[in-house]
Amino acid sequence: LNAAPGRAPRQQIRFLPAPAPGGGGAVELVAARVPVLADHPLVRGPRFRKLKIGAGHRLDVKASGVFVLGIGHGNKLLTDLYNCHLAKVYTVGGRFGKATDDFSDTGNLIEKTTFDHITREKLERILAVIQGTNQKALLMYSNIDMKTQEAYELAVKGLIRPMGKSPPIITAVRCLQFALPEFQLEIHCLHETQQYLRKMVHEIGLELKSSAVCTQVRRIRDGVFSVDDALPRTQWNLQSIQEAIRNCQLKVEAELEKTLG
Amino acid sequence: MAGVARRLLRRGLGVAAGPPSTRQLREAEEAAPVFQYAGKVARRKDRVFVWGFSYSGALGVPSFVRPDAGWKKPRRIQATPYRLETEEKISSAACGYGFTLLASNTRDITKVWGMGLNKDSQLGFQRSRRDQTKGYEYVLEPSPIPLPLEKPQQTRVLQVSCGRAHSLVLTDHEGVFTMGNNSYGQCGRKVVEDEVYSGSHLIHQLKEFDSRVVQVVCGQDHSLFRTKKGTVYACGWGADGQTGLGHYNITSVPTKLHGDIAGVNIIQVSSYGDCCLAVSDEGDVFGWGNSEYLQLASVTETTQVNIPRHLPFKIGKVKEAACGGTGNVVLTEEGNVFVWGYGILGKGPNLIETAVPEMIPPSLFGWSDFSPDIRVAHVRCGLSQFAALTNRGELFVWGKNLRGCLGTGRMEDQYFPWRVTVPGEVVDVACGVDHMVSLVRSFT
Repeated sequence: LNAAPGRAPRQQIRFLPAPAPGGGGAVELVAARVPVLADHPLVRGPRFRKLKIGAGHRLDVKASGVFVLGIGHGNKLLTDLYNCHLAKVYTVGGRFGKATDDFSDTGNLIEKTTFDHITREKLERILAVIQGTNQKALLMYSNIDMKTQEAYELAVKGLIRPMGKSPPIITAVRCLQFALPEFQLEIHCLHETQQYLRKMVHEIGLELKSSAVCTQVRRIRDGVFSVDDALPRTQWNLQSIQEAIRNCQLKVEAELEKTLG
Repeated sequence: MAGVARRLLRRGLGVAAGPPSTRQLREAEEAAPVFQYAGKVARRKDRVFVWGFSYSGALGVPSFVRPDAGWKKPRRIQATPYRLETEEKISSAACGYGFTLLASNTRDITKVWGMGLNKDSQLGFQRSRRDQTKGYEYVLEPSPIPLPLEKPQQTRVLQVSCGRAHSLVLTDHEGVFTMGNNSYGQCGRKVVEDEVYSGSHLIHQLKEFDSRVVQVVCGQDHSLFRTKKGTVYACGWGADGQTGLGHYNITSVPTKLHGDIAGVNIIQVSSYGDCCLAVSDEGDVFGWGNSEYLQLASVTETTQVNIPRHLPFKIGKVKEAACGGTGNVVLTEEGNVFVWGYGILGKGPNLIETAVPEMIPPSLFGWSDFSPDIRVAHVRCGLSQFAALTNRGELFVWGKNLRGCLGTGRMEDQYFPWRVTVPGEVVDVACGVDHMVSLVRSFT
């Protein structure tokens, strides 16, 4: 970063003595633009000695996916994005037949059950109910008085969501793949933790009169940032980072405008 | 000596302690027993959930009214769905004004159960255990209603319906049985002056219709019968024109309706208060009865309409209609819900009355880009509340929350459709004045 051409030094206007035209001896003051010595690179030293990097929504050790970081001024944008309360999208993989103590497949085994009675239909029914109860929670925790006309208008547009602290809420669930004993869900949620999603997989197993563990949690979208904008491990270099920041700037601004006004 | 001890230790108790290796864990896992909670042919169970005002006994849970333990308090209102244990699978339920009827289509002798108010014998005669000659005035738990069937082990009960103080039971081969208050002829028999309805054993049977009756509907004090041929018969109170027979008098014998529905094949009739709606097979809506709340204001300015009139709504082909006390709701073939009338109609607190049907946006029923195939499958009406069932088995309610009848868990009125969390897929719902009954299938 420090090798990149820095800012041009500030200019100032000083009155410098210069020899007057004509005879020698007399000195005249001529205005000239001179660089300020305080800005000279040899005086100031390298421009960046440390960088302030802030992290967006947390990601577990066992989970993977999009992880948003803010650099320097971006940290303030991070706070604003947090206050927007946008939904995050996860791909959660599960496996029927086992129940463990930490709800993932690497935990201590608690119980093994049969799962041949489970069909995709039953799973989708359970998912519909989960979505339904969470929709209710969405409306309840948004702290809007249900008796007003604005509440009705927002509810019609589907824009009601909690703009403050709330327990984890799932706004949408969908089954992407179903091949006994494995299955994969796409979950859109707010204010959640990855452990909560694993617990959800476990509870789905219980509802279906069997048991399930979570094999994979992958965040594919965090507010405006999706997997396409994210940089994989091979691209963690200055060029790509700068390009990525430039590409996302517009999107972030637009979203903040829309939500916070 | 020491050597022997060491050898013993190594053999018997000398197993290396420490964290189990991966292989040991895997072996332990494979050796673990597998539990089976549900087999491959596990059936989904049918359940009944009730909620609302319980002191009338209409919920069928006696411990709400008379607690069985000393420290328990009586529960006046059950604000969220509560499971009602029944012996048989209930196929049809109806809520009246303070009482409920549950019917099962079995061939057993007991086919209909009733609970709630019985001051007019709307639940038949319930012999009191204390005094064998008198009957119960409040029935607190589902009690069998003895019907005078000719062939009790062959006839099936198809449907039940309840009005303010009378009830109708529809069977497949033996016509319609009516019981309860008959002061306006709503039971289909001649009005007897000064008849005492409380503790009455009389259950009247109606058989004379032009074809088999396929639907019975009770209004507040009148009864409607729809036959297989698509004709509608009515009897009972007619002061608001709700019998639709062209006059405002009482009718004590079921009489055929004419007017705009003459010759039209009616596929559904609905009524709960004093207004009636009928839907034809071509998707047209006909209405008659009370119009004080603009229910029929689209065709007439009068407040009572005593002959069926066609309601010219341009909302598409209508599939189902439901009438409430002051508001009406219809469901079209596309799955859209339209409301009109007076009261809390479901479009926010600003819409109080309208004579022309207004559509409720489908996004309020869970429709979104993420789940675009959600449709409303049925609509039902109570006296001042509405209920809608989606094709995913979710129940949405809105309207006046009289004594907790909406089941949302809150006591406030609901101005737009709100989900009721029922642990199961809701198959049918019956709305009453201050309570509701739902027939639910479990998930797995």
